[in-house]
Amino acid sequence: MDVPVPATTPRPGVKRFIGVDFDLGALLKSSPRYWAFVSLLLTVLAMGGLAYVAQLQHGGAVMAMRDNYPWGLWFTNYMYYVGLSAGGLVVYASVHLFGAEQFKPLSRLAVLQAALLVMMALLGIVTDMERPWRAVWMLLTPNPTSPFVYTGSAANIYMIICFFDLWVLITGKGGHKLAHRMTLIALPFAIYLHTTTAFVLSMNKSRELWNSAMMVPIFLTSATASGIALLLLCAYVMKHFKILELTASMFRSLSTLLATVIIMDLFMLVVEIATVFWPTSAKPGHVVRFAEFITGRYAFTLVPVLILGVTAFALLAPRRTRHLPAIQIIASALYVVAIWLKRYTLMSMGFAINPLGQFTPPYVPSAVEVFLALGILSLGLLVLTVAAKVLPLRVPEEPHGESLHSIHVTEVDAPDDVSAGALAEMG
Amino acid sequence: MSDPQEPMPVQDDAAAAHLPEAEEQAAPGPTLSRRRFLEGVGAAAAILAAGTIPAMISAVPAPASAQGEQPAGRTTGDEGLDRIIAEDQPINYPGKPVYYADPAGKQKWAMVIDVKACIGCRKCAYACVKENNIGRNSGFTYIQVLEMEQGAIDIEGAKLDYAEGGKPDKWYLPVQCMQCAKPTCVYGCPVKATWKEPDGIVVIDYEKCIACRNCMVTCPYFARHFNWVEPEVPKNERNPKVPVEDKAGVVEKCTFCIQRTRNGRTTACTEACPVGARKFGDLNDPDSEVSVLLKTRRVFRLKEEDGTEPMIWYVG
Repeated sequence: MDVPVPATTPRPGVKRFIGVDFDLGALLKSSPRYWAFVSLLLTVLAMGGLAYVAQLQHGGAVMAMRDNYPWGLWFTNYMYYVGLSAGGLVVYASVHLFGAEQFKPLSRLAVLQAALLVMMALLGIVTDMERPWRAVWMLLTPNPTSPFVYTGSAANIYMIICFFDLWVLITGKGGHKLAHRMTLIALPFAIYLHTTTAFVLSMNKSRELWNSAMMVPIFLTSATASGIALLLLCAYVMKHFKILELTASMFRSLSTLLATVIIMDLFMLVVEIATVFWPTSAKPGHVVRFAEFITGRYAFTLVPVLILGVTAFALLAPRRTRHLPAIQIIASALYVVAIWLKRYTLMSMGFAINPLGQFTPPYVPSAVEVFLALGILSLGLLVLTVAAKVLPLRVPEEPHGESLHSIHVTEVDAPDDVSAGALAEMG
Repeated sequence: MSDPQEPMPVQDDAAAAHLPEAEEQAAPGPTLSRRRFLEGVGAAAAILAAGTIPAMISAVPAPASAQGEQPAGRTTGDEGLDRIIAEDQPINYPGKPVYYADPAGKQKWAMVIDVKACIGCRKCAYACVKENNIGRNSGFTYIQVLEMEQGAIDIEGAKLDYAEGGKPDKWYLPVQCMQCAKPTCVYGCPVKATWKEPDGIVVIDYEKCIACRNCMVTCPYFARHFNWVEPEVPKNERNPKVPVEDKAGVVEKCTFCIQRTRNGRTTACTEACPVGARKFGDLNDPDSEVSVLLKTRRVFRLKEEDGTEPMIWYVG
């Protein structure tokens, strides 16, 4: 089952385009289960499309967002996806910058994940605008004092960098040298993107809850932790379907890295909470708003973040059990969920008490918002599902990728793609 | 560990102790050395930091003498007022006129609201809705009146949805767009679809607004409102001077009744106030009511600590 095809025999169904071998033949040989999963994703995608049409026709009336919640689920997802894409990139960059060779088999998957997530994030923003075509003004008359301009442009450039980087990794063009240079560009840019994304929230003196410099490092650590966790889940799925060959020691290293970042993330959250409530630093507006999350009407969103986060760390911390796949998968899944909840808390619930002190009931997204978000999610999953079959994600043993034909696809029979979807859907 | 010709800085040695593999692998391949990596990161950081400089510069206040000319006939006693006028400069002003109003004149508009007189009747809000064609289905008003307990400006404990005003044991604080001299909404708009006119009024270009709603997030006064639905105004109640359809799916807010005040009239809310609590006028005119009030009375501004320099003062 797991026999690589020799380099000399050109496989049927392989189409070469822009230097990448797209193995379209693998799609034809896919199992019915694979196609069932793909059609499920297509269905959800179509529903998302319908939701977008409804949004364009009826405007904001079909959304649960109102003046009290000017940003909702879609902007939450922007923050979340942008964050998730960082983790993959950190893992990829550590291969090139810090010589973490054990992560090398993951590098293509990591960059693909980063690129797809930024694409999903940007789609969420475009659909959030009532008149997306007016976004051209961002290019024509950008306002240098608006954090939006920086995060928007950074996300676009970052997406291009990620896709180009993936192309460089797969084709081997420019060799190691170009791959290293791309890392040098991509990693600082990932940090820049997440910093400016945090700025969108933190640079508001009107919103006490966000107006904290701690917002930037929390964004960076949350992003890295959740991204690594998602990559770990993704890697297990790829291993399960024999798309990638990954060793247990690689997963152990990844878990150690994850545990380290999780504890940094939790530490910063605790520092922020301490700053809000400490008697010598507590400011009434800030305390009133944050108290809603600790003991008040919004505790149901932030308290789970703390519980899930601490549980994830507690699972990964003991050295004796850290190598167990079940422990790694559960901890990663917990943290991926925890960070989404954290973003949702911060973003949607951050508006709970408006600048005039008025409390608003919890924000719950409308059906149109949920379906559009699911549509974007399934688009990302769809591209990943197809790419797993078609793209040569497996990193060649030879360092310079000279013999491309020998490396990329093995005969893969996907027996249980539905569980792959279930795992990925946790992201 | 490191190259003898190039002694590494102390903090690098500490870092290197944690990652010995990286150093070993640096030698044979084209792997990047840590020094080059740090240089690269430093350079990238410098470039990115330089990108944010324009944002920093605009936040630094320019000296008053550099901005605008002082109107003739002022005494040294007007210094406080002069500073306010000098600070109230156009920001992101594209130079094109607001299509439903006259171009800006030489005035600097301001408002003073007497909170001791205000009875919380919301007549101002009703008049404003009529004058500015606010959608009857839109679910917002430009003016929001906060009802508060005596003894404190307790915004967090304030009530907006009180049934009827005039309670003797409460006091009332009308809040609307403050036409700030340092408007966070104008700074926050990514596409310069909102700007500050030379006479101090903050306006929105309904044709340009991309509906990102960042201005609503940055406004400390909750003065900006989004038309989530198409605004519906009965045909016979429409003010022909103010657009209606253009406001669907964009942000709108108080404009100091730009269509009235630039033609020599006062704002609708000032006109409607039954107790005369609102005074509207030109700060450049030393004899206007607002100038006299600011020079002679103890006044305060809402959330002054936020530093947005609002152009509505309260006097009590």
